[in-house]
Formats: sequence, structure tokens, C-alpha cells
Amino acid sequence: MLTLLAGGRVIDPVNGRDEAGDVWMRDGRIVDAPRETRPDATYDATGKIVMAGAIDIHSHIAGWNVNTARLLLPEYHRAAMARPATTPLSYAGWSTFETGGRYATMGFTTVVEPAVSPHYALHAHLELADTPIIDKATLAMLGNDDYLLSLLRAKESESAIEDYVAWVLEMSRSIGIKVVNPGGAAAFKENVRAFSLDDVVPHYGISSRQIVKALQRAVNKLGVPHPLHVHCNNLGLAGNVETALETIEAAEGLPLHLAHLQFYSYGSDGERGFSSAAARLAEAVNAAAAAVTVDVGQVMFGPTVTSSADVLRQFNARHRARPKKWLILDGDANGAGIVPYEYRRSDFYNAVQWAVGLELFLLIDDPERVFFTTDHPNGAPFTSYPEIFALLMSRDLRAKWIADLPSAAMAVTTLPSIRREYTLPEIAVMTRAAPARLFGLTDRGHLGAGAVADVAVYEDDADRAKMFRAAALVFKDGELVVRDGGVLRHTWGRALTVAPQRDRAVDRRMKDYYEERYGLADDLFKVPADALGRPEPFEVVPCRP
Amino acid sequence: MERAWVAGEPVQLDAAIAEAAKLVAASRQPLIAGLGADVAGVRAAISLAQRSGGVIDHMHAESLLRNLDVARSSGVMLTTPTEAEVHADTLLVAGPVRQTTLFQQLVSGSSRRTTGAKVRRIFWLCPESGTATAVAGRDSVNVVGRALRDLPAVLAALRACIVGRPIAKTAISVRTLEQLSRDLKASRFGVAIWTVAHVDALAIEMLCGLVDDLNAKTRFSTLPLPPADNALGALHACGWMTGLPMRTGFGRGHAHHDPWLFDSRRLIGGGETDCVIWISAYHAEAPPWREAPPTIALTADGAAFRVPPRVHIAVGVPAIDHPAIHYLPSTGTLSAVAASQPSTRISVADAISRIAASLPDDGARRC
Ligand SMILES: [Zn+2]
Repeated sequence: MLTLLAGGRVIDPVNGRDEAGDVWMRDGRIVDAPRETRPDATYDATGKIVMAGAIDIHSHIAGWNVNTARLLLPEYHRAAMARPATTPLSYAGWSTFETGGRYATMGFTTVVEPAVSPHYALHAHLELADTPIIDKATLAMLGNDDYLLSLLRAKESESAIEDYVAWVLEMSRSIGIKVVNPGGAAAFKENVRAFSLDDVVPHYGISSRQIVKALQRAVNKLGVPHPLHVHCNNLGLAGNVETALETIEAAEGLPLHLAHLQFYSYGSDGERGFSSAAARLAEAVNAAAAAVTVDVGQVMFGPTVTSSADVLRQFNARHRARPKKWLILDGDANGAGIVPYEYRRSDFYNAVQWAVGLELFLLIDDPERVFFTTDHPNGAPFTSYPEIFALLMSRDLRAKWIADLPSAAMAVTTLPSIRREYTLPEIAVMTRAAPARLFGLTDRGHLGAGAVADVAVYEDDADRAKMFRAAALVFKDGELVVRDGGVLRHTWGRALTVAPQRDRAVDRRMKDYYEERYGLADDLFKVPADALGRPEPFEVVPCRP
Repeated sequence: MERAWVAGEPVQLDAAIAEAAKLVAASRQPLIAGLGADVAGVRAAISLAQRSGGVIDHMHAESLLRNLDVARSSGVMLTTPTEAEVHADTLLVAGPVRQTTLFQQLVSGSSRRTTGAKVRRIFWLCPESGTATAVAGRDSVNVVGRALRDLPAVLAALRACIVGRPIAKTAISVRTLEQLSRDLKASRFGVAIWTVAHVDALAIEMLCGLVDDLNAKTRFSTLPLPPADNALGALHACGWMTGLPMRTGFGRGHAHHDPWLFDSRRLIGGGETDCVIWISAYHAEAPPWREAPPTIALTADGAAFRVPPRVHIAVGVPAIDHPAIHYLPSTGTLSAVAASQPSTRISVADAISRIAASLPDDGARRC
């Protein structure tokens, strides 16, 4: 099957293209223009914008935490409109089916679920297997687990840690490793209520910094393309910019990704002791090594639910729940906290948070190092992305929003003075080229020959929110799945994983460990290849040699 | 051995599937109840309910939803069975508890905590009958109160004691409550345990509130013991596929959750359904009602029906006849388990998929 997408404005920064031209697809891949063959299907993209499918690097879309949030918040569905019943369960407000479809209609074709407890990995993959159209990947969480902390306490070799990390990546079928409030959840079980980078987990005698460094090293040494993904200590607290700055410094120039930096960009200036420190942090990111990357975690106003593996932070925030209900899980390692919340325009703190996110987007120079996220659903649901693109692309639009927000809040940020506007090629870098590179996905995020034929086509509408909300056409693996913002058909994507080499002796050690600690077979926690009931549920992304 | 029956007569599986499909196709609102199936079976059942404008319920929905309701209206601290087993130095058991393997392990094991006491202290509130005697051999079990009906009042008094409010008079002496309060506060990581089937909403709310209060100074969590028949697995599958728990109907063109409206017994009693698909792959449980519309029963061997089903298919038991993914009480999560005695028995998922495939207009709506 040869498909021609003709005459659109092709924005493909990886291949240096920004021009009116054609994109050819054959059998699920992008191909060079064939010499004599006629296409089996032609789509006219004249006057439209053509980009690779977008990649979301951090969005909590599946797994025990998200699903428990669904079950706790039935009221979030009542408002959901009935949708045409042409697709299975398409109208079920917040289901996996809806998630895949809504991402696809915005032109997103790959999404990373960033917080999977290794013991809940099978659950997460079952949900992802029921999330249509998009491809997905998971990050496995380590850093609050007894096994790693025990290795560190016993001063085991670096290779012992690498073998363990490789074992976890395989048993959980993940694409990378995330650490969430390193050591904080383990310390919370020992009744610690505040935990910073140089605090020590009781009994293990290991600091948060040591955990970060050990995991960063192991991930890098294994050749896993995605650097260690760090959710720092002290999320959400006034003055926590110091924690973020220390963590950036702790990267020591090696690859490290800091998640949802917006939640760590707070100073303690002003009458209320809460201010934006985004400018300072952006400067630090600009000055840091290129291997240090961040995503934003933009806040938008409205009701949402915070769902985080940072159990200590969620516990401390539980009584601020809006509406007043919450669930805190002391898990096997990280645990979880689900706290519904509503960001309000009239709320000083929420308004500062909104501005801080935009400041980070606009003050970090290189769109390849600042990633587009709302930390869905923590800062805002992913369905708010179109509005955020519009805000990034227009200072006039920002000025309108700013005029409606508490002036005291805007006064403790630099946002009103920022004139930068994102261009479409910069959006393409931030949401396509850079994410693919950050995860080692050489055949995604661009439209060169050989790339996966994931393509999004948008109307070139001056209303950028409208443009990004409903793609004109979306191709997944070369197949047309969205037209005029509506899902045409449900295909089933794959979960991308890595499989770094390891010394197989670790398998025996893990078997013994699970037997000893839990009296259970380690197999009961693994994700078997054939468990998901889809023909090709996984695709292995190569590690660096 | 026979595997399929129509109107009590043994038939080929194909004939039973065809008859079942005929019943579903003719139905205005099929009720899928019981739902004792592995995750694949539950997924197939939900898809069929959606496709046929039916209703999805589970035989243990009552107690599952009672527990969930507390979380949907207040705050809950929760832990995993594995974490409780490794970490808890104190257990606060409330009401009668079935002597499951997990529970036996929890009460007879010792804390593998790396700090603090190794011997797990156990306090048991209102165990009702002789259930507490099973562990009474341990000197560390302190039974407080007896009758289950006293539990909410005892919990209320205990909670008042913990936060230093005046204590109402209950079946338990103030001295005992004060001692218990001191003991709970002295724990390093305590876990409150109850069986969701046995404890009422008021008691669950009290337990959750009490645990939250204890966290002001120390660490405490809860471990509600879920019903069998993959009830939690079914709850989660409903959650991700529909965004809602079971007792959800699809007749209005969208998923609509209403624990009263879509209660199987009420639908049967009120004659609001014209076809029942009853699923019990784990325990060969028969439907509890005495009168029912035409029923398609997918059960393990040996179900004793009060009302003979129109179609009966003997299905395999998950993780015995065929590999299965389901909730395990020991892991506290969905686990993939191999078949212990593999057989050719059809699984619930396959049976429902075949029924669905035999419906008219079987098209793009399958998932
Ligand atoms: Zn996150």
C-alpha cells in the first residue's frame, strides 16, 4: 500500500525540512518519493501543516494509580458527553479507550507512562494494551525499593546494581528508569515527614543523592537511551528551587532528566512567601550540560486529580484535596497518593504555578531540552495541550490571560515581561524531534525515509488551540486513523521496551530474594510476553552498544 | 464429561454457543452477573455488555462498593499485603476474618522490619464467633470486644480516645480503650485489617478515620481483605475499560454507573432484564435468585442451579485449566499464573468471544 500525502507544509526539523512538499508512506514506513509508481491513495494536504506524530514523554495514563483515581472519581464522568458509538466504549469518559482516541485526535502517536511500580507492571501493561491507536512505553520506578537500598548499604559493586536495573527493565517491560523522591517513600515508612537531597533513609544509611547517582550511573552504563528520569524531593514546596538546582548540579554533566520542573521552581519571596524562581532555574538549565533535560508539568485551571508515586508529598497534601477525599498507598517500594485538586484562577498560588510553567517554556532557550508536559493529570489533563500550544505561540493571548489573574501573583513572576513566541518548527522540535531523541527512537519524531509512518496533519488555523485540538488527518503506521478530529478506526499499538544485557546470575539472586522476602515466586510479578492478548504487544528499542 | 447443555440436554459446544447468541441477540437489556472470571473473561464480558446495551455486575459488588464508597467520600490510607507482611509490627483486626492463607501468614508471621520490634502485636476488635481462637495460641493476640454489632461504637470510642476526646460508654471499659490507644500509638508501622464482606460502611469509615488520626504521630495503614472470585481484578478491569466500577449499564448509549439501579437482584426482582449471563468460573456458584429470565450459565463444574439455565457451558477454572491473569491476595495485584492442570476446557473469555462472534452485525465494534 503506497500512500501520498501531497502538498502540505512539511515541518520536519530532523531532516531540515520546512517547505511545501510531499510525504510518501509504504507499508507503515515513510519512504522516499518513488520514481514511477502511482500511489494507491492520495490525500491533499495543500495549505495544511504536516508533522511527524507527536510524542508525550510524561503522562500518567495507565496503571494502578491512575485506575484507582478513576474509581475514586466517578463524578468526573458525569460531565462527559456521550460520543458517537461507532467504536468500542468510545463514550466512556476517562477509560483507556478514550485516552488513546483523544491523544490520536490531537496528532499524538506515542505516549510514555512514567510511573510504573515494578510490582504493578502487568496491570499497567494490561491497561496500555487496551489503549488504542497510540504506541506507549513505561518507566519503571526504582529508588525506594529495599533491594536497591540494600545493595547500596552493603556497598555492592556497580555491576550488581546494573544487573538489577537490567532485570527490572525486563521483568516490567519498561523503556527506562524513573526515581521518585529518591528514598522519600522508604523514609516515610520510618515516619520521616520531610526529605531532601542529602537526607538519609533511616536504617539503610543512604542519602537521596547517593540513590540518584547510583541509578544515573547504572542507566548510563547499561546504554539505556533514556537518561535517569528524576522526580526530585520537595515537590510543590515554597523555596524548593534550591532542591532543583542542587539536583541539576548533581547530574555532573551526565545525562539526567528532571520531570515536571514547574513544581520545583518556587522561591519564597513576596508577602506570601511564595514566588516564581523559574527565571533562575531556566538560567541554570541553559548553563548546564546539554545532557541535562527537563519537562515542564504545566498547570492549567480547572478540576483535576493529582496522582503521584511521591507518597510523602501526597500524604502531606492530602488535607488540601478538592473535593475532600484522598487515598495514600504505602506500596512495596514507592507507593502512591491520589489527591483530587482544582487549580483556580483566583487562587494566588495556582496563578503563580500557571505562570511558572510558561516562564520555563519561554526562558529555556533550546526547545530540544525542554519537554512539553502537564504531568497529566497532575498539572492539567492532557486534553488541555491545545490551549498551552496557543499560549506558547502568542504573547497577546498570554497578556489576555494575565489580565484576568491576580496581579499580586503575576508580580512575583517574570511572565508579563516575556515576549518570546514559539514557532511551528520549535513546536515540532519540542514535541517530535526531541522526545524521539530522548528515548533513542531513531525511527520516530521525523519524516525521513525509514521512519515509522506516524504523521499528523493540521489545518493552518490562526486559532492554534483549534488547530491542535483536532488534527485534519492522522496516520498511525501508515494507516489513516483520524479525520477532521474524529477517530476513524481503532488500531492497537505497541509498548516500546529496552532489553540491556545483564549477567544472568542476577536472575537466581532475584528468585531467592523474592522467596526470602515475600515467600513468593518472582515470576508472579513479571509481565510475560504472551500475557496481553495482542499480536505484537512489544517492540524492543536498541540500547547503545 | 459433558461440557455444554441446552435446556438440560447435553449438546455440542457449538450448539450451546449458537443458542446463547440467539438469546443475547433477542435481548433488550442482557444482564451479565456473577462475573467470577479472570481478567480476560471480565474484559470479554464488559465488551459484550457494551455491545448489547447490557448491564455488568459482580457477585461481590455489594461489599466491594461499600469499601470503595468510603474512599469515594473521605480519606484512606492503604498498604499492600506484601508490605504489611514485611513491615507491620502491629495489626489491628476488625470484625470476623476468614482464615485465608494470607491472613494466617500475617497473624502468625513476625515483622521483617529492619528497625523496632520483630514480634508482631495483634489486636482484634469484635471478632464475633470463635474466629479469633485460630490465632489465640499466640500470647500477643489481644481480643477487645466480641459482638460484631458493637464494632462501630467500639471504633468510635477508640478514635475519641486516640485524639483525646471524651469517650462515650461502650461494651469496652475506658481502661482497656486507653491501653489499646497507647499500644496503637506506640507502633512503628501498624496495619488495620478487615474483611470487606463483613464490616459495614460506618465501621469502615471509623477505621479509616482512626488510621488517619494515628498518622499524626506514627505510621499506620489499612489492608481491607477483598472478596474472592477475582473481585478486585474485575473492579480494575471495569475501571480502565469504562472509567467506572461494576454495576454499570450501557443501555443509554454511554456507560452509566448506578449501584442501586444496576444491582442484579433488583433487576431480576423487578423483571427489568430479559436475559442473564451468569459467570462463575472459580467456584461453580449458582445465581442466588429463585426466578429468572432465560439464563446462560458459564460456570465451573458442579453448579447446583435453583433455576435451570437455558444454556449451560462448563468452563475451565482460571489458573487450573488454563493460564490466567487475575488478582492474587498474596501479591496484592494482577498476576499472570500458569495452568496447574491444563485442560481443553473453554475459558470464559473464549466462550463469550464465540457468543459475540455469533451475534448478527458482528463488525468493527469488537475490542
Ligand atoms: Zn509525573
